Amino acid sequence: MVKVLAALAVGAVLAGVASVAVVNVAAPTPEPPNKPLYNYGTR
Amino acid sequence: MSLHRALARHGPAGLGLLLGLLALGPALGPGFVLRYDMVFVPDPPLVFGPVFGSGGSGGFPRAVPSDQVVALLSAVLPAQVAQKLILLGLFVLAASGAAALVPPGPEDGRTAGRFAAAAFYAWNAYLAQRLLLGQWALLLGFAGLPWAVRAAAGGGSTGRYAVRLAVALVPAAIGGFQATLVTAITVLPVAALTRRARAVPVSLLVIGLVIGLLSLPWLVPALGARAVTDPAGVDAFAARADGPFGTLGSLLTLGGVWNAEAEVPGQGSWAVAAVRLALTAVALAGFAGLVRAGERRSRALAVAAVAGLGVACLGAFAPGVLKGLIGWWAGFGPFRDGQLFIAPLVLCQALGFAVVVHRLGRLGAAAVAVPVLVLPTFALGAFGRLAAVDYPGEWRRVQAIVNGDPAPGALVSLPWGAHRAFEWNGGRVILDPATKMFSRPVVWDDTLVVERRAGGAIRVAPEAPAARRIGDLIRGGQGSLTAEFAAQGVRFVLIEQSNENEFLSRLSGASPIFRGEELLLLRL
Repeated sequence: MVKVLAALAVGAVLAGVASVAVVNVAAPTPEPPNKPLYNYGTR
Repeated sequence: MSLHRALARHGPAGLGLLLGLLALGPALGPGFVLRYDMVFVPDPPLVFGPVFGSGGSGGFPRAVPSDQVVALLSAVLPAQVAQKLILLGLFVLAASGAAALVPPGPEDGRTAGRFAAAAFYAWNAYLAQRLLLGQWALLLGFAGLPWAVRAAAGGGSTGRYAVRLAVALVPAAIGGFQATLVTAITVLPVAALTRRARAVPVSLLVIGLVIGLLSLPWLVPALGARAVTDPAGVDAFAARADGPFGTLGSLLTLGGVWNAEAEVPGQGSWAVAAVRLALTAVALAGFAGLVRAGERRSRALAVAAVAGLGVACLGAFAPGVLKGLIGWWAGFGPFRDGQLFIAPLVLCQALGFAVVVHRLGRLGAAAVAVPVLVLPTFALGAFGRLAAVDYPGEWRRVQAIVNGDPAPGALVSLPWGAHRAFEWNGGRVILDPATKMFSRPVVWDDTLVVERRAGGAIRVAPEAPAARRIGDLIRGGQGSLTAEFAAQGVRFVLIEQSNENEFLSRLSGASPIFRGEELLLLRL
C-alpha cells in the first residue's frame, strides 16, 4: 500500500512538471529568419 | 510462443518504434528533415574518389560512409523515405539493444525492467540533443552500442566472436568516425573485463582488427587528408552547462552538448532539471547495485562510462591539455566535442533504471513512462524543432544541370559560409545543402562560427586546403575572381540570390546558366 501511494505521489509530481514544461514550450514562436549565412550554433 | 513471451521479446523494439513516432512527430510527414548536420537531399549522388566524404574540398571525411550508404539506399527508395527509416530505426535499435542487456531478475519484474531500459535509452537528453544537432550518424553508433557491448562480452569460438562483433558494429561502421570512436571506447573495456583471462588478448586483437577493417572507409581518406584541426575548436565544442546544475550536472543528466540551440526546449528550467537529476540519482544507485553484485559486464561498462565522462570533462575543465594534444597531432580533434563520449554513461543509467524497476515488481510497468515525463518536450519533433520540408524546385533543377554536365571541375558555393537558415526550412540552421547535392567536388567555407552568449564569437579555422585557398581569394580584395577560380579548377559557382550583387561584379565573364528566385548558377 505504501509503495502504491509513493508511486502515485511520484507520478503526480512528474505529471505536473511535464505539464508545465509542455505548456511553456508550446507557446507561439516568432517568425523564422531567412538569413543566407548563419552561425553553427551558440554557446 | 505465449503472448507474455512475445511481449517480452519484441515489446522493447515496439516501444522504441512508438517512442520514435512520438519524438519525430511532424518530421515524419512528406519532405526532408533538415537541421544542423542532418542534411539529406533528393537523389544524393554516389561519389567516391576525390569527392569521397568531405564535399570534395580535401577536409576530413566526416560523412563517410554514412553519405554513401544514404546514396545507396536512395537508389532503391526515395531519399526522404530512407531518412525516415533511418531515424525511426535509431529508436528501435536503441530500445531493443538496451532491453537485451538487462540482466536476469525476478520474473514478474524482468519484463518491466526490460521495457524501462528500452524507454530510458531511447528517450534521454543525449539522444535528443544529438538529434537536434542533426548528428544521426553518431546516433547510429549510440543505438548500436548495446548490441556491440553484448557481442564484445559474448563467448564462442574466435571466428564466431569476430562475426558477431562485426555484425553488431555495422551501425557504428555506417555512422563513421564519431560513432566508431564512441563504440571503441566502450567495447574495449567490456572485452577486457568480461572475457576469461586467457581469452582477453585474442578478444582485444579481434576487436582491434574488426574496428580497423570497418573503419577503413573513413580512416584511409582521413590519414591521406591534408586537412588541419584548429585547437580553437576545443573552446567551441567543449561540454557546457545546459541547466542549473553546472557542466558536471549537465553531463551526469546526459546533456551538456556544446550548442545551446541543440538543447531540448525547456530542459533547463529548475523543475525539469531537478526531476532529471533525481532520475539520474535513482538510475546510478541501481547501477551501483549491479556493480556491487559483481556483474562483470556492468563493471566494464562503469569503466567505459568513467572514461567517457573523463573525455567530456577534459575539454570543459582542462582545455589547455586538449589543445596541446590537438596541436601536436590533429588526430585528437574528435575529442574536442567530448560530450558525445558519455554514451556508455547513458547505457549504465538505462540498466540501473531497469534494476530499480525490477524491484518495483508489477508497479514497475508504470515506470516505463518516467523517461518521457522527465523530458516531455522532446515529443513532436521537440515541438517543431524537427519538421519535414520540401526543397524548392530550383534546387532540383540546379542539381540536374550540374550533375548532367560531363565536364570536370569543382563547384564553389557562395556566400562564403558553411551554414544557412532558409525561410522554407522554418529558419532552422543547416549545413549548406550544396555540400551534398553534387557529384563533383564542392568547395565551401568550412570555417565554423560559434557565437558566445556572453558576447563575441569563436571562429574555428577551415580544415580543407581547397576551402583555405578559395577563402583567401575571396577575402583577398575586390578584384575579379573568374580567372583565379578557373585556375583552381572551378567550373560552377552557385550563389544565393540575396548575395548576388556582392559576387556578380567579381565574376565577370562567367555565364549565368540558371537564375531562380533563390539560386543563381554560373559556369566559368
